[in-house]
Amino acid sequence: MKKTGKGIGIMFYGTGYGNGYPDISRAKAKIDTDGRFTISSGACEVGQGAKTSLAQIPAEILGILTKEVIFDHEDTKTTLDAGTCAASRQTYNTGNAMKMASESLKRILESKAREILNLSEEEPLVFDNHEVIVEGDPSKRISFKQIANTADVGDLEVVEIFQAVTTKMNEETGEGNPYWPYTFGACGVEVVVDTETGTLDISKAILVQDVGRAVNPKLIEGQMDGGFAMAQGYALLEDLNIVKGEIKHHNFTKYLIPTALDAVEVKKIIVEDPESSAPFGAKGIGEPVMIPVAPAILNAIYDAVGVRITEIPVTPEKLLKAIKEVG
Amino acid sequence: MKTINLKINGRKRQIEIEENERLLDIIREGFHLTGTKEGCGEGECGACSVLLNGKLVNACMIMAFQAEDSEVITIEGLGENEKLDPIQQAFIDTGAVQCGFCTPGMVLSAKALLMKNPTPTKQEIRRGISGNLCRCTGYEKIVEAVELAAKRIAETD
Repeated sequence: MKKTGKGIGIMFYGTGYGNGYPDISRAKAKIDTDGRFTISSGACEVGQGAKTSLAQIPAEILGILTKEVIFDHEDTKTTLDAGTCAASRQTYNTGNAMKMASESLKRILESKAREILNLSEEEPLVFDNHEVIVEGDPSKRISFKQIANTADVGDLEVVEIFQAVTTKMNEETGEGNPYWPYTFGACGVEVVVDTETGTLDISKAILVQDVGRAVNPKLIEGQMDGGFAMAQGYALLEDLNIVKGEIKHHNFTKYLIPTALDAVEVKKIIVEDPESSAPFGAKGIGEPVMIPVAPAILNAIYDAVGVRITEIPVTPEKLLKAIKEVG
Repeated sequence: MKTINLKINGRKRQIEIEENERLLDIIREGFHLTGTKEGCGEGECGACSVLLNGKLVNACMIMAFQAEDSEVITIEGLGENEKLDPIQQAFIDTGAVQCGFCTPGMVLSAKALLMKNPTPTKQEIRRGISGNLCRCTGYEKIVEAVELAAKRIAETD
């Protein structure tokens, strides 16, 4: 018999190293003699989209296109340390360092432009297409290149360091500020359980993720799809089967992960609630997207067949045994 | 040691092989075509997918001597000059790539599918790429990409 059930899972997650551990990102912004903008930071692109989304931050500040940002990343010979691509921390931490460096460079460019164009402190300036322009009087303008040509070596180069503020949690009282920022999410699924075989299908899925601010919605959707699939494997398939310290499921014949045939079309909702300490409000979501999925699946199983599964993965054997036990 | 002839990405080549070398080894180490990836090395993940005489195979499961007088297409053989294959372009446009390790195999799998079935349904696409594992994308955008590529190929034909 096929039985249908629905379940939800909700979660919050602290991004960054946390617990007072120094969580530091560095970035260097500069204008070269050709007037081109370069930003360097040791953040690694590992497929999550750091190269794209982090480059959007200085582009926004300096009024240039993202593709015009020369972003030097990863290479430890040329970049400053921006910590690991772990703990869902790069958007927030390195994003902040890159924002600070870009803003500092912008202030330097403004001050140089005022000096060269003989402008007072009050005249408002805008940045567009590698130029600093007096707002309302576009005849008064100067390009980054012209500024660079009058500047001394090193004038148009700035390093900024961002450190996340967390404190060690008091182990006795549980008080403290072990992580910052936190991100929130929820998942809802509908499952169809075959009570004769113990197999189940996820017939509907919805995943909701607070991101602070969606720097790049398409990349976020990709992370949400990926996080859901990984959690689906975690909940239903993936088992290292460790016996006396030995991993028995040491290949993909035994350690099953979802294939395209298992993939579920997930309805994805991105919630934007800007975080005040974050770059343009944006928080990391790499790991958080995975967290509420397995609980939602287990709750849906309970709704469908009335059994509380407390051990994952919920293999057909386990589910069938549990269903038989409750009769 | 043995010398074999084969056609790889449209070029006639000759290569010396060891008896125990796999097709994957000569592609990567012999011809330096490193777009083909080694994932599991036991035919489970599809990262080393290539076209052998027009058929999709795992290059880790084919011995090099079996490729004698054959025609092999790797990811480097797709597209013309500076123009990407429509499947590659669709992967970029839909954001179907994250870490990229499965991508060459995934693209060739899609190529093999569309050669046989130019107008696949979503389910046929899923089945067509089900031998290629991806840990990052959850497959959704890959399926979208193959759909888009099929649509674009149909429009240009």
